[in-house]
Amino acid sequence: MLEIKNLHVAVGGKEILKGLSLSIGAGEVHAIMGPNGSGKSTLSYVLAGRAGYDITQGSILYNGEDLAALAPEARAAKGVFLAMQYPVEIPGVTTMTFLKTALNSQRRARGESDIDAVGVLKLVRAKAKTLNVSEEMLKRALNVGFSGGEKKRLEILQMAIFEPKLAILDETDSGLDIDALKLVAEGVNALRDPSRAMLVITHYQRLLDYIVPDRIHVLAKGRIVAEGGKELALELEAKGYEHIVKEPA
Amino acid sequence: MAALVLGLPEARRNEAAAVFRARGVPHRRVEEWKYSDLKSALGDAGVGAAVAQGLVGNLPSGVEMFDLAQDNPPDWVRENFAAATSNAMSSASLALSKGGVAFRVPKGAQITDLLKVDFTGPGHVRGLLVLEDGASLTLVEGVGIADFRNVGFEIVLGEGASLDHVRLSPDGGEAVLVEEAAVHVAARATYRAHFAGFGSKLSRMELEIALEGEGAQAHLSGVAVLDGKRHSDVTTHVIHRLGNTTSTQLFKHVAGGGGRAVYQGKVTVAKGANGSDSNQSAKALLLGDGAEADLKPELEIFADDVKCAHGAAVGDLDAESLFYLRARGIPETEARGLLLHAFLEDAVAEISNIDQRELVRTELLTVLRAMA
Repeated sequence: MLEIKNLHVAVGGKEILKGLSLSIGAGEVHAIMGPNGSGKSTLSYVLAGRAGYDITQGSILYNGEDLAALAPEARAAKGVFLAMQYPVEIPGVTTMTFLKTALNSQRRARGESDIDAVGVLKLVRAKAKTLNVSEEMLKRALNVGFSGGEKKRLEILQMAIFEPKLAILDETDSGLDIDALKLVAEGVNALRDPSRAMLVITHYQRLLDYIVPDRIHVLAKGRIVAEGGKELALELEAKGYEHIVKEPA
Repeated sequence: MAALVLGLPEARRNEAAAVFRARGVPHRRVEEWKYSDLKSALGDAGVGAAVAQGLVGNLPSGVEMFDLAQDNPPDWVRENFAAATSNAMSSASLALSKGGVAFRVPKGAQITDLLKVDFTGPGHVRGLLVLEDGASLTLVEGVGIADFRNVGFEIVLGEGASLDHVRLSPDGGEAVLVEEAAVHVAARATYRAHFAGFGSKLSRMELEIALEGEGAQAHLSGVAVLDGKRHSDVTTHVIHRLGNTTSTQLFKHVAGGGGRAVYQGKVTVAKGANGSDSNQSAKALLLGDGAEADLKPELEIFADDVKCAHGAAVGDLDAESLFYLRARGIPETEARGLLLHAFLEDAVAEISNIDQRELVRTELLTVLRAMA
């Protein structure tokens, strides 16, 4: 589904990703682990299409299509979803209005018909319940005054509503206590599906206790330096990044 | 009745004419008109001597009206009309207009229907609105398009009275539209004003509000959305004459193309007006290099124990918010429109009347969509 080859990305003229290659198939959950500054967030932003992240070499194919050629909204319509590390607060737009606008924008881009306000409300309510997102949160301005946990839950709620084909979770565990983490992980696990690929980006092994990946890639200094099964996370936890990063890749 | 025009004794009219002659048509070298050069906008045509009109769209029952072009004004007009002013353009309308509209809401009357007044045609016109003690009303003021119009409005609120003043100005194209409102707010009375406008070649709403009794309040808000070469100027002066008076101001402007948004807000807390509370906020978003915003909040405090805050900020749409919306599938133009609307929303939410609020929202959405 996702085929990244020799990807080089520069931000403000500085090269952050230096030849990253990665391949994820449908139904798989991959994790990217790495220390701060290794390029984890750069990878997530470049996949979602944020401006200012320039691909200087290499390619990203998504279902055989050149992902870099698509605007962020076109990627979303085609099923790419990035759960952000720091979801933005947007005063003046209620969460419900945002969800409805986003859902119908994606549908329209795919040539599907709009879902009316009542239909969206029903859909959102049903999914919100399992993620413990209250009616009151949906009425508030998007992410405004939400706690860290509420913001992350809303990200996962969006994932549940939009039903993406490729979900990228950027440090979804950051700032969460253990209960919030479990809730979010349950939400994510419920969305595991043979037709869906997931890329879980995290600094800590902790999240991977709850979202168990099929494969782990260790990112350091803009490159994948180690790969392995879920047991690699435990090794990292025990020995630290230093140990792995220093070994020849 | 040659001696009375506009119910004004000849002497009062001459006095106003003298003030206007002495001050002349304001231009950019006059400090308060620095960002709104009326003289150059008018060019050779000048202020003329034409007489504009105040048309009543809806007169609710319980509201008394008087045509200022008529003789024999009633006492409430005599007592409140044409207070002395040093304002150049207000003096011009007193000296040059031959008509206008005056309204009175009697003591204690709670008027629920809207009073709708449209100022139309070119030239000068006067307005007067008197709310007696304990009266309440919502005034919806419409701004018609004309080459040049100058409105002089006086508003007098008795003790405990409450007025909601909503002023809507459509895109005025090449029009030059100025208005000066002088508002007197007695003890425990509340004046709320909301100005929504799309600008014109030169548009200026100037407000002088005197909080004259304990507990008097003024709450001002407004939005301006300016495209092309549109200009919009809101200039306010709130004077806290007595203590325990409150004023708030929240103005939001969006300027694209060669649009220019001006906000000048001065708050004066007079000597002895202790315990006064005032808050001013003005923000502008500029969509492009040709747009301009001039925001100038100002405080003048002569009293003790007062709470005064003011702030102004000019910026661009937040790139992070825009990316977030787009990454969730919302096309760029729609996302920009949504963010612009969101930027204005807290000021729009200040409009108390639900129908008027929805009307402003709808108009804004249409224009913002085109600008985004």
